Parts: sequence; C-alpha cells; structure tokens
Amino acid sequence: MSNPIALIGRAGTYLLLSLAAFVSIFPFFWMVVGASNTSADIIRGKGTPGGALWDNIVKFVNSFDMVRVLFNSFLLAGLGTVLTLLVASMAGYGFEMFRSRFREKVFGGLLLMLSIPFAALMIPLFMLMAQLKIINTYQAVLLPSIASIFIIFYFRQATKAFPSELRDAAKIDGLKEWQIFLYVYMPVMRSTYAAATIIVFMANWNSYLWPLIVLQTNEMKTLTLAVATLAAGYTPDFGVIMVGAIAATLPTLIIFFLLQRRFVEGMLGAVK
Amino acid sequence: MIRITSRWRNTLAVALTGVSLFSVAAASAAEITVWCWDPNFNGATMEEAFSRYKAIHPDDTIKVEIFEKAAMEQKLQAQLASGATDGLPDIVLIEDYRAQKYLQSFPSSFEPLTSHVDYSTFAPYKVELATLNGQTYSIPFDSGVTGYFYRSDLLAEAGITPDQLNDITWDQLIEIGKTVKEKTGLPLLPIDPTSSDWIRIMLQSAGSWYFDADGNVTIKDNPVFKAAVETYQRLMTAGITTPVSGWTEYTGSFTSGKTPSTFSGVWMTATIKANADQSGKWGVAPSPRLDGVEGAGNASNLGGSSWYVLSSAPEKEKAIDFLTSIWAKDVDFYQKILVNQGALGTYLPAREGEAFKASDEFFGGEPVWQNFSTWLAAIPAVNYGIFTEEADTATVAQIPAITSGGNVDEIIAAIDAQVRQQIQ
Repeated sequence: MSNPIALIGRAGTYLLLSLAAFVSIFPFFWMVVGASNTSADIIRGKGTPGGALWDNIVKFVNSFDMVRVLFNSFLLAGLGTVLTLLVASMAGYGFEMFRSRFREKVFGGLLLMLSIPFAALMIPLFMLMAQLKIINTYQAVLLPSIASIFIIFYFRQATKAFPSELRDAAKIDGLKEWQIFLYVYMPVMRSTYAAATIIVFMANWNSYLWPLIVLQTNEMKTLTLAVATLAAGYTPDFGVIMVGAIAATLPTLIIFFLLQRRFVEGMLGAVK
Repeated sequence: MIRITSRWRNTLAVALTGVSLFSVAAASAAEITVWCWDPNFNGATMEEAFSRYKAIHPDDTIKVEIFEKAAMEQKLQAQLASGATDGLPDIVLIEDYRAQKYLQSFPSSFEPLTSHVDYSTFAPYKVELATLNGQTYSIPFDSGVTGYFYRSDLLAEAGITPDQLNDITWDQLIEIGKTVKEKTGLPLLPIDPTSSDWIRIMLQSAGSWYFDADGNVTIKDNPVFKAAVETYQRLMTAGITTPVSGWTEYTGSFTSGKTPSTFSGVWMTATIKANADQSGKWGVAPSPRLDGVEGAGNASNLGGSSWYVLSSAPEKEKAIDFLTSIWAKDVDFYQKILVNQGALGTYLPAREGEAFKASDEFFGGEPVWQNFSTWLAAIPAVNYGIFTEEADTATVAQIPAITSGGNVDEIIAAIDAQVRQQIQ
C-alpha cells in the first residue's frame, strides 16, 4: 500500500489527468465567465464572473429573430437525425444481413468515398441544388447529409452483433423483412440508435459550411449561422458572442447527458 | 414493443409533413438585397443610405444580409464558381485587397459602372483598385487611410509633444520610441508578428506594392520593398515594440495603456473611442514615411471596402440608381454616417460638410476627420493585383528572420521566390 514508487506513479497519473481535465474544461469556463462580462472586460482578459450576463442575454435575444432561428435549427437537426438514422440503419442492416457477390466491393467503395473532402463536393453539389431549384430550402440542407457513410459503417459494425437466430425465429413466426427490421431489429439495437443519435444530432446541429452556402436569407438561418454573424464586424461584442456560444452548445450537451448511459452501451456493443 | 415503433412512425410522419409545410421559397417582392459583414458599420450605413432613397421611392425596400466576412467571401466564391446565380444579392461588399481577384476570376459577374458614376469625385486610389481594362466596377465605400494614434498624456510624460510627431520619418519615430522607453518604460508599439499589415502600409505609402500595374511581381530589386523590410527590421530590433498575437491582444495593448500608441487604419478610431474614460488623452498624427525613398509620403492605407453590383442581379437597374443617387451624390449622407458609424467615406466633396470639419474632444479638440480626409486624398494608387494574399503569406513566413536580424537581401530573395512559385 505504502510502496513509494507506486505512490509517485499514482501522483503522476493524477497530475496528468488534472492537467487534461483543466485543458478540456478551461474553454468552457472561459465561455461561461465571458458571457457574464462586457466586451471590454473580456478584451482585458478578466477571468472572473462579471455583472453583464443579463445585458448580454437581452442583446443576444434581440440580435435576430430567435424563434425562427431556433425553429430552423431544431427542425434541421431533429429531422436530419431521424432521417439519417433511418436510412443508415436500413443500409447497415442490409449490408450485414444480405449476402451478394458485390456486397464487400460496394461497401469498400462507400468507405473510399469517406476520403473525399467536402470542399471538393461543395460546388458540384450547389450546382445540383440550383438545377433542382431547391436553393434556400430545408431539403437542400438535409438531402446531402442523410446518407451518412460513417453512420452506415457504424450500423453495419453494430449489426454484426445482432443474433441471426432472432431473425430466423421472426421469419418462422411469419414476419416480413420490414417487420423484422421494425419490430425486432430496432428495439434490440436501441443503444446503437442512441449513440448514433448523439453523433448525428451533434453533427447536424453544428453543421456550418453547407448551410452557409445553400441557405440565402435571414429567415432560413440556423443558430450556428446566426451566432457566426455575431462575430461579424470590426468591433464584435464578445460577451454576446459567448452567450451565443452557450446557446449553441446547450442542446448538444442536454442530448448527450440524456442519452449518456445508452451512448456508452452503444459504443461497447448493443447486444449483450 | 409495438407501442414504441408506432410512436416512431408518428414522429416521422409529423416531421415529414413539417418539411413540406415550411419549405420557404425565395421572396418574390421587388427589393434590393445587399450582402455585407458588419451590422454596426457597413450594414448600418447601407440602411441609412436606403432610408434616404426611400424618401424619394417609397415603394422600394432593402434587405441587408449580414454574414461573417470570411463566410460571406466563401459563399460568394462558391456560388460564382458554380455559375448558378439563384439567390445572389444585387449588391455585395468586397474588401479592396480582394477586388481584383474577384473581377479577374469571375469576369462578367460584376456590372461596370463607368457610365453611371463620375469617378473623379472619389479618392483616386479607391477608383484605381476597382478598375480593370478601363472599366470601373465599384461604388467606393470606406477608406483605410492610416494614422499614428497615440496617448498624448503618456507621451507627454516622456517629454514628447504632438508637434514632434507631425510629418516624421520612421527613423524619427524609432528615436521617439527609444526616448519613451527610457523615460516611461513602455514599449511604443504593439506588433503582431503574424501579420504583414505594416509592410503593406509602408509599401503603399511610397506608391509601391508586391506587384506593378501589369501584375508582375516587384519584390526583388524593388527599392521600396527593401526600404520597408529594412525599416521593419530596425523597428523590431530597436526594443521599442512588444509582440502581440491576434486582434484582441493587439487592441487590448493600446486601449489598456500597456503601449502608448499604434499605427492603423482610420477605422481603428471606433475601437479607441469605445474607451470613453480616455477622452482627451488621445491624438492622431499622419503615418510616418520611409526614409530615403523616392516618392515616399505620409499617407497610406490599410483595408477598406467597396460596393459592387452583380451582373445577374434581379434588381440591377434599381440597385445602380440607388447607389448613384445616394452614394455618389449625397454629401449630407456622408456627414451622417461619419457621426453615427464613424465611417469615413471616400467621396471627396463630402469633406466640405459640417461633420468633417468638426473638432473632436476625444482627440484633444483636433479636427481629426478633416485631417484623415486630407491624408486620404494623398494616398498613392497601387495595383493590389490578384495575389496579395499569397504575397502576404510569403512575407509573414520571413518575419521571424527579419526580427532576428537576418540579411535583408536574402530575406527578400526568399519572399520573391516563394511568391513566384505560388502564382505560376
């Protein structure tokens, strides 16, 4: 117990962990403290809470049509998550359950596509949306993100643990394939769905570049885009920006804490 | 089990109805759309201009869309490159340094305004930077005319009077810096070693740039460039500067009194005046000039932007009519935006207005705006070309070498080589 070498090792571990914790928590701390300070105080590097929180919140709420912006963000993130999970889980299920000669080649092709950076796709994608006449619509934001290759991959990996006996039993009971998917697969895989929800919701909620390009008017802006415009200008109000940053972070935090237990399960493997 | 899934199905149904209900089509009303990047500055001046236009044309409306500047550029560039003009605005604000890049990369995307505007009423350097093949495309907006902003109270402690700062050279400023350091212990200037702003200012003050009028690289064998790098090196090695990183630390250093002065574009005035408790303690002098360089003057520029009309604009005629009847005519409008937004326009007749002549108590009762506009008319015109950013990057890469006292000729050769390699 009182082995000095082990003790030093322990102290080292804690020191390292404390350092890592500090590095991860400090930006968050700075954001919260900044939200309660005036812009001038933030520039001077004041690291203690101030009294301007309410002022900053009022200014933030009045800087754009908050109801509309929040509605846009929640609609796009929520609907985007539901559709992505649906499409990706069906694809993952299909890839694992059905054998075909080309299965691995198609899947490999998909994975290869992961390496194409979005910047290279942006302009052709925009031209496509322009031809479809859906620029500045919710569809234009949602469509390119629904078939997320990463989430398909994630579901396929998770499906490997799905017992095929369950599917066989369901078949014997007379269920059709879509019924098996809906009534057997989905409930069994709920941890996987929960983990994927966090990942997809966060990605959609924080999505910036594509909505920026394809959405044109103030009425269509999401919270991420609106908060970015707060930083526009030669004399930005940093206190208000910090309030915006908190507002933009909060929903993903809430989703994460709500689904945290399932997230860990989902990461460890859905089926025990 | 069934209960859960039917709930899922309901959610999905509701969501799908939602997306079809709330798909918003672009508004069809006849209104002028503007893209710019500062709600309190260029956005606010645009609103003010339009309120004047609306008095004569009550049916028209304006829609000012604010973006973060880099985001707006990315958006504009992606859309111009795609060739799809849906949703582009009628009027867009473009930073002067990038004007040629847009005009040359996307020919026929912007509307020439030469036949609509008398450009002799605008500052010559602003007109030049938006001219391509004899056609001028912009309505010039704000100037980045440079000035030397100083805390008169702190410099007085070192025995420096405002007279000593008028029409001086950089080397005289370095000497002043040494005196200030000795008497007060304060470094005279904050310098951001990741920015080439000051080199650019020095270049333009002598009518030179990284490129000549035809876009050829003029870095090696350019006496002005050499003088600028040497002056920068003397500044950095004289022990009168303090390094800062990023905008916040930079502006923080002189608004908090850690450094008693800075050297910047006129738009810095707003940042300085935001510190109301320092009223009466500030002064502005013309920016210093390069020593021993032909054509070197005390006027230069940093930043600034102009309005452009897109050729594809749905309300093109209306947009041009609006811009020419307010921005190129209304002297009173320029007084208003100077007072309210601190925007120093480049429409020369505006100088004769009330607001320009007024003295400013914050700057010890000096008529700072008139001073700035006098310097503004003297800014030499240069060709920013289309590769200013690349040249900046190459220059910034050598700043550590300059600061550590490296051989100037070798440094310049390295910058020259990198720029040439990048723009091939």
